[in-house]
Amino acid sequence: MAILDIHQVSLSFGGLKALQNVNLKIEKGTTHALIGPNGAGKSTLLNVLTGMLKPDDGSVMFDGKPLLNVNSYDINQLGIAKVFQTPAIFPEMTVLQNVTIPVFAARDGSFNLNMFEGRSKQRPLIEFAEQQICELGLEKHMYSLAGSLSRGDKRRLEMAICLANKPRLLLLDEPTAGMARHETEKTIELLKSMQDGITKVIVEHDMNVVFSLAEKISVLAQGEIIAEGSPDEIKGHPKVIEAYLGEAQV
Amino acid sequence: MITQNNFWQHNRTVLMFALVALTMPLWFPLIGGYSGLDTKIMIFCIFVVGFDILLGFTGYLSFGHAAFFGISAYVTGIMLKNFSDNIIPAILVAVLAATVVAVIIGLLTLKRTGIYFSILTLAFAEMFDSMAMSMLQKWTGGENGLTGMPTPMLFDLKMQGDTVFYFVTLMAIFLFYMAKRIERSPVGLMMKAIKCNQTRLEFTGINARKYKLLAFVISAIYAAIAGALMVVYEPFVGHEFLGWHQSGEIVIMSVIGGVGTLVGPMLGAGFMLYFENVLSVNLGEQWLLVLGAIFMAVVVFMPGGFMEGIARLKKRYFTTVDGE
Repeated sequence: MAILDIHQVSLSFGGLKALQNVNLKIEKGTTHALIGPNGAGKSTLLNVLTGMLKPDDGSVMFDGKPLLNVNSYDINQLGIAKVFQTPAIFPEMTVLQNVTIPVFAARDGSFNLNMFEGRSKQRPLIEFAEQQICELGLEKHMYSLAGSLSRGDKRRLEMAICLANKPRLLLLDEPTAGMARHETEKTIELLKSMQDGITKVIVEHDMNVVFSLAEKISVLAQGEIIAEGSPDEIKGHPKVIEAYLGEAQV
Repeated sequence: MITQNNFWQHNRTVLMFALVALTMPLWFPLIGGYSGLDTKIMIFCIFVVGFDILLGFTGYLSFGHAAFFGISAYVTGIMLKNFSDNIIPAILVAVLAATVVAVIIGLLTLKRTGIYFSILTLAFAEMFDSMAMSMLQKWTGGENGLTGMPTPMLFDLKMQGDTVFYFVTLMAIFLFYMAKRIERSPVGLMMKAIKCNQTRLEFTGINARKYKLLAFVISAIYAAIAGALMVVYEPFVGHEFLGWHQSGEIVIMSVIGGVGTLVGPMLGAGFMLYFENVLSVNLGEQWLLVLGAIFMAVVVFMPGGFMEGIARLKKRYFTTVDGE
């Protein structure tokens, strides 16, 4: 069953057609990679999914609910989380506070007037946040300021933030961009180990990452999907080699 | 046992503030402060603590909070003069009026961030200032200000001298305690997250705009309470209550004391008013120049204000102890 159904989505910036009649179905529980050369429309598509951009045409359904014209925070409340290209965290807060935010967001929704409730009195919620931090191996930094972490740890923290309100779909925009090789490998391990039924859509340039994670790959070029299939099918696809892999030298 | 420890930990600053504030009539005259100035300092403590919920938590710098202070002061004055000399209905109506205005202004100004937000709030405050001077002159007294209020009463209690001081101080302690509670609540966490990374917050399922509006309105309510108490303290309202100069003074108090710390802005308010009213006499005409220099020195060398200075001193003190 498709958890995400993108149907005939088109979007232009002035004369530039960023997305042209994109059709894409993401199956529940799978890891689906979006690849393609620079400017192919991969990030644009993610921005449409998170409510940052409104397409000119088409529809997007998430688990049977329409996603277009819905605010980013409501999309997140529906169960879609996004990992940004540069780790988006709350730098002036401690790691624990960073992860406490989504935990309260999951309990209280997008807005709640509980002005006089002590956070520290909510032991189970705080413990859940601590557990998320431990699972991502950040227990040593529980009370450090998030801004002082290394880049790899910031990425882990961002994942902890995203996972703490239990999303059903995780969008990852180049999660290993700018990482050293050993950090990239750690990230791959981390993503592989997250198998509790979370569907993942990953935009990535690093073919090593794509082929070790994805069960299905869609190739975008100039705003259109030109090929779709399993990693093996994509590796041998003539259109893909022409549009992308040839110049990326894989 | 644990709950007691938590209580002490959570309310240590509030209790310390209460101690310092309530004993002010004893020690303030020793450093040259006169009776009445202590009340004014407490009123401005309320104003800046509320202001810190907006500026310190969400990072939104309003240059128009005098509007809520002034509107509330005028409404309180008009109520006392025309309806009843009891301060309770006067304060309630005044705060309600300012809250309604704050919701409208907040909805309009919070669409923008940074300097655009600051300028929009300034523009709104100036609008109210010019309204008080023109079309509303009949009510506000225009250039002469609003005068002729009876001695305000708290039911059967005359609000004069020490009674005013203790009433205002108890309000300040209560409102500081409330601000601390907000800081420790989930709402406080969301407000502080707005300052850190608004995009991440929205992608974490939080409607940042509503939390910003909430912070804006709460800070306006604090400003309105301060404005109403100003009239109880002194039966006069002038249009300068609404002016940009008043808004700017609040910003300076906050920055000098330490934005985002709640206690810092109160220290800033105390320092500024003490400086303006007591030290300025010794310094003569040059006092504004000295104040400007102090402000610059704080911003350049201690961007975290007095609170940063205190933290540094503490660190140095504790390091020496460790060294021994």
